[in-house]
Amino acid sequence: MNPNSRSRCVLVCTGFIGLFSIFSFRLVYLQAIKHDEYAGLAAEKHVYKQMIYAERGMILDANNEVLAHNAPVETIVADATHFNNREATIALVSHELGIPSRELAEKFDGERRYIIIKREVPAATANALREKLRAGNLRGIYFERDATRIYPNGSMLCHVIGFTDFDHHGIQGVEASMEEYLHGQDGYRFIERNRAGQEIVPYRGQERAPRDGYQVHLTVDLGLQNIVENEIDAAMAQYSPQKATIILMRPQTGEILAMANRPHFDLNLRSEGKPEQMKNRAIIDMMEPGSTFKIVAAAAALNEHKVRPDSSIFCENGLWNFGGAPLHDHRAFSNLSVREILIKSSNIGAAKLALMVGQEKFYEYIRRFGFGERTGIELPGEINGLIRPPKSWSKISITRIPMGHEVGVTPLQMTVAMATIANGGKLIMPRIVKSITASDGKSISSLSPVVLRQVIAPETAKEIGDALRGVVSDSGTAAAAAVPGFTIAGKTGTAQKVNPRGGYEEGKYVVSFAGYLPAEHPEFVGLVVLDDAHTSKPELNYGGLVAGPIFSRLAEKAARYLDLEPHEEIRKALPVQRVEKSPPAERGRKTAAERIALTNAERH
Amino acid sequence: MKRSRRRNHNAVNAASLARWIVMTAFLALAGLSYVYLTLQLYHLGERRKAVENELGSLRNQNDIASAQIAGLTSHSALQRRLKEGYLKMVPISEANIVRLALAPQSSDEDAIQPVINSSGAK
Repeated sequence: MNPNSRSRCVLVCTGFIGLFSIFSFRLVYLQAIKHDEYAGLAAEKHVYKQMIYAERGMILDANNEVLAHNAPVETIVADATHFNNREATIALVSHELGIPSRELAEKFDGERRYIIIKREVPAATANALREKLRAGNLRGIYFERDATRIYPNGSMLCHVIGFTDFDHHGIQGVEASMEEYLHGQDGYRFIERNRAGQEIVPYRGQERAPRDGYQVHLTVDLGLQNIVENEIDAAMAQYSPQKATIILMRPQTGEILAMANRPHFDLNLRSEGKPEQMKNRAIIDMMEPGSTFKIVAAAAALNEHKVRPDSSIFCENGLWNFGGAPLHDHRAFSNLSVREILIKSSNIGAAKLALMVGQEKFYEYIRRFGFGERTGIELPGEINGLIRPPKSWSKISITRIPMGHEVGVTPLQMTVAMATIANGGKLIMPRIVKSITASDGKSISSLSPVVLRQVIAPETAKEIGDALRGVVSDSGTAAAAAVPGFTIAGKTGTAQKVNPRGGYEEGKYVVSFAGYLPAEHPEFVGLVVLDDAHTSKPELNYGGLVAGPIFSRLAEKAARYLDLEPHEEIRKALPVQRVEKSPPAERGRKTAAERIALTNAERH
Repeated sequence: MKRSRRRNHNAVNAASLARWIVMTAFLALAGLSYVYLTLQLYHLGERRKAVENELGSLRNQNDIASAQIAGLTSHSALQRRLKEGYLKMVPISEANIVRLALAPQSSDEDAIQPVINSSGAK
């Protein structure tokens, strides 16, 4: 090889070496130095984080009846960069989903890669669209599995169950308060798609399985709830009150067995519900309780040994001027025992009992009964109520508060206070959630009864209970609340309605009855409250005449439902033959026991 | 064969040839296997996706059926059917109820408890 050729050869080789060195450097630059940046860009183009949604937990009643569950639906989304025939796709989607073409065209405008077209599309509709897109070879439309919340019982227990928003987050009721347990944890999966938008399965990346939400079991028994709903509907039809609330509670455990409010709404048509219908008035409405509050004054006086149940109190013959303001009784009473003060519902007697206890001590008892603080039930939005401290009281407050004026309490607080009497003086925290379980039935949490404090001595509670049995006797204010076959204890309440602008509204009353059954071994405590009931005559608008009979009917049915045996002594007095069939002549006659009808039977 | 001719002839190295053939065959086989396995991988991926879709679809159908059952057996639905007259419920009179007093249970765990003889009950 001559020198010329050799130098030419070296030159060419050097050129090649240089060229390939540049390529090599570029390769190293792209593959090593810029790796993360380009890998990110590539991933952005092809890799998607596909969400795998966790299923929201169910809500069940005490007997595992479903109150809230999920139904599968699909969310239809689009990737504008994947369209191969935009116009045809718009026309088809518009036709199948009933969305105007112009609206779709606006949505698909641009290069957005994730456009939500429609949520909660039924599976059948989504399948039909899927088939037609496949047949027309149209790309760019995708289907995501989703679920919608279904409430099989519609409006029943609506304020307790609550509902969720579009993102499946609870915003009211147990759906909101138990959100942490119901929601679960969404999973995800990194996937790659080919040019046609189909997933390349072998290229699946990191994946996390979803954890479904837990199931929440309530203390509510739908059988009892049904009884309560029927009675509250009947009360609405009969008295047309502005608002109504009924609560049933088991005093020993604090379990809420039933809770209903009116007005109400259908959970499946929640978008049509009005704000007024959505309020759980049992925990967010404040009312002046009226005479049901007298149990606090009597309990305080008895527990402080200021009086005995048979101590005589002069009731001023129906009119007492105290602090420059007259205090009336609905009838002129002279001397009444403490027991009779509750039975006859004497305002003057209750005021004198509170005066004996003293302002500070009486206030302490009000607070010890749980008034002025949240009960702690697992429902959102509960209010404290309004109990002013003694330093804010006027001269006459000590005579007005014992009869349930100048205080604001929630229906649930009143129920809990009555349950305290039924429960031997123990204040128990009401609860609506019984337990939380995983979808496989494994127990996550089981809530046990919480005794907050011993408010009054058991003997005092028994003395008050004995007096409350008299309220439902013929000489009491709530004879109509009696339940044949059972001894019940209770107290009526009739309070003039507070005017939001100050003072009281003329001719408008909040009537109530709180009681428990059987009086000896209470199985449930019930409260019936009707706000501004309309009676045929204004003088009939009393707790004992309006709320009492409602309590009687629902307690009768509830006792039957719970299979409580009627009191033997009372039953003996009734013309009921046990085991043997009644003769035909007697069958037509309606016995007390027969009136204890099935829960689903019509009102008597 | 004549000696002059044998000298001009390039002898085939059989061992080397065989080595090359084996190597080529191995490479060809490896290449084909790679292609085949890759295709299988895609194919299985598609199968997996199809099975997943089918499973999802079955779950959906199951959930829809559960929702329908829950709706049809709900308290409200039964109440509605009762009102419409599809179901008839008659209140049981007190005279037709026989209440049995339950035997008091011993607090002692080791105490003999009454049990139901399931085989005898059949």
